[in-house]
Formats: sequence, C-alpha cells, structure tokens
Amino acid sequence: MLEAIDLTKRYGDFTALQSLNLTINEGEIFCLLGANGAGKSTTINLFLNFIGATSGSAKINDLDVTKHARETKQLLSYIPENLMLYKNLTGLENLQFFCGLGGKHQSKGELEELLEQSGLQTDFINRRVDNYSKGMRQKVGIALARARGSKVLLLDEPTSGLDPKASNEFSELLLSMKEKGVATLMATHDLFRAKDTGTHIGIMKEGRLLEKFESQEVSFRDLEKLYLKHMHN
Amino acid sequence: MNSVFLIAKKEILIALRQKVIRALAIVIMVLLSVALYAGYVAYDQQKEVIENARKEKREEWLTQGDKHPHIAAHYGTFIFKPKTILSLFDFGLDTFTGTSVYLEAHYQHEFMFRPAQDHSSMIRFGELSAALVLQILVPLLLIFLAFPAFTKERESGTLKLLISQGVSCTTIVWGKIVAYLSILLSILAPFFVIAFILSTMLANSETIPDIAVRVVLLVIIYVVYLLIFVAFSVWVSMRSSTSKNALLTLLTCWILFMIIIPKTTANFGESMYPLPSMKIYREAIQKDIKSGLDGKASTSFRQNQLKKEYLQQYAVDSIHKLPLNFEGVRMQAGEDYGNKVYDVHWARLKKIFDNQNRIASLSSFITPYLAIRNLSMGLTATDLYTSIHFQKKTENYRRELVRKMNNDMAQNSRYGEFYEYKAGKNLWNSIKEFEYTTMSVYEIVSLYKTELISLCCWAVLIFSLLGYSSRKIRPVYE
Repeated sequence: MLEAIDLTKRYGDFTALQSLNLTINEGEIFCLLGANGAGKSTTINLFLNFIGATSGSAKINDLDVTKHARETKQLLSYIPENLMLYKNLTGLENLQFFCGLGGKHQSKGELEELLEQSGLQTDFINRRVDNYSKGMRQKVGIALARARGSKVLLLDEPTSGLDPKASNEFSELLLSMKEKGVATLMATHDLFRAKDTGTHIGIMKEGRLLEKFESQEVSFRDLEKLYLKHMHN
Repeated sequence: MNSVFLIAKKEILIALRQKVIRALAIVIMVLLSVALYAGYVAYDQQKEVIENARKEKREEWLTQGDKHPHIAAHYGTFIFKPKTILSLFDFGLDTFTGTSVYLEAHYQHEFMFRPAQDHSSMIRFGELSAALVLQILVPLLLIFLAFPAFTKERESGTLKLLISQGVSCTTIVWGKIVAYLSILLSILAPFFVIAFILSTMLANSETIPDIAVRVVLLVIIYVVYLLIFVAFSVWVSMRSSTSKNALLTLLTCWILFMIIIPKTTANFGESMYPLPSMKIYREAIQKDIKSGLDGKASTSFRQNQLKKEYLQQYAVDSIHKLPLNFEGVRMQAGEDYGNKVYDVHWARLKKIFDNQNRIASLSSFITPYLAIRNLSMGLTATDLYTSIHFQKKTENYRRELVRKMNNDMAQNSRYGEFYEYKAGKNLWNSIKEFEYTTMSVYEIVSLYKTELISLCCWAVLIFSLLGYSSRKIRPVYE
C-alpha cells in the first residue's frame, strides 16, 4: 500500500532522509521512532508530496505520489501533530467541508454519527472548533479519515500532547481502522504507544532508518533499550 | 469546479462570522449610501438652480427690448452646463470646471461658479462620491478581507490539511477569489441597482438607453478593477511568509497606487508640459489680434485691406455708397480674425492638455486606479474631454450668435448709423436656445482606449502571476 524506494531528501549539504526503503501493507501500522530531526516528518511530507524527493520514489497503491499527486491524495488521510481546523466553523462544518473536497458527500446525520463514533462528545459537534481541545480536533481528523474511507493514514506525532485517556482513545480508533485494512504510517516519540498500537516499528536517526521489526518481536523494555542504544551511539 | 465552490462557501461563512469584516462591510455600505444620497442631492439642487437660471437668462435675452444688434451681442447671455445624471455617482471634474459661461462679442470668457470655490482646501483630497468609495475605499476593504487568504492557512496549518485532500493550489486560489468577489458583489449589487433606478428615474425616456449602456459599462469596469485587487491581494498573501508581511505589503501598494503614483504622475505631467498662466495666455491672444498672427497684419492694416476689397467688389469709391453697413462687415471680420487667433492659441493649449492627459493615461499601466478613475469620469461625462467638448459647443454657439448680430447690422442698417438702428424680438428669437448633448458612449470609449487596455493588462498580469505562483506553492517551506 505504502512504499518508499531509496527515498532521499537533501537540503543543500544536509541530508534529511537517506535512501529509505519501506513497505507498509494493508492493515499494518508502521511506527517511526526517532528524535527530532531524525527524518520522520520528512518521510511523511514526502508521501504527502508536500516536498519533492531529491531521489528515489514514494508510492501509494503503486502510484508515484509526485506523478499521481491527486489520485494518491484521494487514498490517504493526514493527521498532523496538531490538527488545525477552521476555528470559525463547527466540528461538523469542518467535516462536511473536508469530506466535500474529497468528493465524499455524506448526510449531516451520517457525519454526526461518525463524529460520535470517533469519540467526540455530542454537545461539541455543533460548537465552533475554537472551543475544542487538541484531542477533540484529532478525533475530527479520525472521523474525516473514516468518512473519506481512506486506505492510508499518515500521522505525524498525533498523540503528542494528548492526555493518557485521549491518547488511549486515539489508539483504539487506529486499531479499529487497522481492522478495516487501513495502512498507517505514524511518526511518534511515544515508545509505549508504538509498541501498543503499531504492528511494525522502525527506528530512525539522522535521516536513516536504522532498524525495523515487528512490534511483537520485542518487549516494551527491549524496545526502550534498543531505542536508547541507537540514540546514544 | 465543485471544490472551488466548496472553498468559496467556506470562505464566505468564515468571513461572515468575523466581526471586523462585518463592520467593514457595513461601513462601506453606509459610505456608498451616503455618497449616493449626497450625489443625488447635489445633482437635484444644481439641476434646479441651473434650470431656473437657464430659463431666466433665456427670458432676459428674448425680452431685452429693441436695441442695436452689437449692443445685444455685448449684452450677451449665459450658458449653463447641464448636470449629467451619472454625475451623482462620480463628480469627476465638475467641481473644478465651472457650471456657467458668459457669452459676448469679442471675448471667450472663462467658466464661472466652480463648486470648488465654495469649499475649503480639503476639497483637494476629493469629495465623498460613490466613485471615490469604490475606487479607493473598497480596495482597502478587499485588502483587509484577503490579506490572510494564504498566510493564515499556512500559519494555522490548515493549508496542509487542504492540500492533503487532493485539492490543487489553483483550486484554492479560485475558491478564495470567487468568495471575496461574491462578498463584494453582494455589498455592491444593491448599490448599483439603486444607482441605476435613480438614474433612469431622473432621466428622460430618450436618454435611458444611453444611461443603461453607461451603467452596464461602469459595472463591468468596476468589477474588473475590484477583481484585480482581489486577485492581487490573494497573490501577495500567497507570496508572503506571514500575515503581517502580507498586510504591510498590500497597504504599501495601496498607498503607492492610490496616493503616491497619481500625485507623482500628475506633477510629472505638469512639469513636462507646463500650462501658461491665464494672464499670459490672454495677453498672447490680444497681442496676435492686434499685430496679426504673422506679426505683420495689424488690425488697421487688415481693416484697410477689407475696405479695399469691398470697394473693389461693389465698384464704389466710398464705404457710404456700399449697399450694406460696412461697420457690420468690419466687426464680423474682426470677430472672425479674433476667432482664428483664439483657435490657434487654443490648439496649442489643447496640445498641452492632450500631452498631460497622455501621461495620465499611460500612468494607468503603473496603477490601475488611474485607469478606473479616468474611465469612470469619462462614462459619467464629468471628465476633461466632456468639459472641452462642452466648451467647444458654447464657443460655436457664441460665434453663431455674434455672426447673426453683425450680419443683421450689416444688412439692415447704414454706415454711420449706430444708435439709430434697433433690432427687435424677431432677431432675438432667431437665436435658438443652446442645447447640449454629451458625447456618445462610443466616442467616450474611443478616447479611453489606453485605460481600457491597461485595465485588461493588469487583469492578465495578475492572473498570470497567480497561475504561476499557485503551481509553485508548497504547504511547507523547503
């Protein structure tokens, strides 16, 4: 579903991402771990075609994201660290707007139901987004991904700054989407969440993917040791 | 296309929920209403004053009693410039060009009763007309509306979310332009409808088609002008790193376009092609009348030549024996020569005006404000060309009036007979009342081709820049 082939991004002499090779299949959640500047967000921005690759290619459903920008974006949903919606619109209006842009026209009732299913409190659905917490906005993001029927989720530190309850609810939502065959690439600092939610984990440092493995292969403690070992080297 | 309308709908909804935008829209509507009402009141009052004065002066001319035709020619009459209906929308130069002129033999008098004379020096900054609001203040509203079009999306992170939905930047650009234009038209549409209804109510049935064409053209050029500002604001927002930078850039451009460039080009035009003072202009005419255009044919020389010609033509040895009053012939010949001299000097003056106007027209390629200002004045018949056109018609009327007086004197009186001969009502009635029809729309448009082309060039340039930049834009800086 998601494939990076020798994906490289350089800014002058600085290499943000070096020859990344990665495949994420349907129903997989690939968690990218790494310190700030490791190349996690660069990877996501390359899949989104927000920035151009220096060499290599990023593919979604076998389509190159640069050559098929519109088609590949129809397949994905993106939730950044701090999902910003239009503050002067309600959660429902935001959802209606973004769904409409993706060509998915659903009734108001269906969208309200999706927002509820995504964990947004009913009395907040028709309130303006400037009254929302970060967790609430992330839930609108998940509702959007569901409404669009996205096959791919690109998440850039989505649980950063969320309280444990909201973070747990978010993980539950990801797992429910995984069950539906959604392929997810998530950049995160949260080792616990990566181990708990991810099917696969990759550790990045200075633009390189140093290691990748199935999350079942390691215990949380081993993951922590492995991560710290790479960070200290 | 659907995405364009979705984005437009979202933008409109957001704008409507912003107090600042609502307040600005109300301010613009109030200003337009006040300006239109003030224009209507000024039009109505001046029309009544002019109409009463016209009737009074015509009556005075017709009932002046029996007198010598040349005395009547000096008694003269007043001509009043009719207020054009669309001047309630754009006062143009009417405030400065004067509303009436005194016509008499030998002299081309200046226009009198300039409304600007009754105002304080603040009039130099412009009167509050609907045109002023549309030309200067509405672009300012657009700047406040559109400056964060892209920067805010980028700053808040919504641009990433928008583009991740598969929407192209071109679609976003068009969505925003459609939104801002819709907001603008919803503010302006009622105003244009009221202005049109008011104009047709005040017009007589013959002039309604002409007014309708002018109003339609005004609507088109104003929409294009404001569209240029919408697109320009969106483009600047797209190219700016922050909302603050976008606002500062746009406000700087507004000051340049509306104040600095128009003033600078006007000063440049004046210094490149300076006008002579009225005193010098008048003295030069009098000198050429006295000494002749070539400096050789003085008044007495010309009169002697004329006398010789007439004596030869009628084969007589004395002007007393001529079958007509030579004094009338001499006066008309003097009048004709004076007109010839005036035409030469006026042509020189007109050339200076034309050169200054050419600079003003070409300057519309530097600021679209000059293009709309000139076009708007032209279509509302409050511009310099209309003023000159009216002046030319009044001068022709004056010449015809004086010619008839002199001819009557020549035909019906005898040489040496002056106070003894008196003309009456029949002669005064033979002078038809002055009627003025403004230039046709076609004539006006052909005079402002440069402005029309420049407005089109501005539109093409801004949309090309938008097209180019929207293909280059990325939601994150690389």
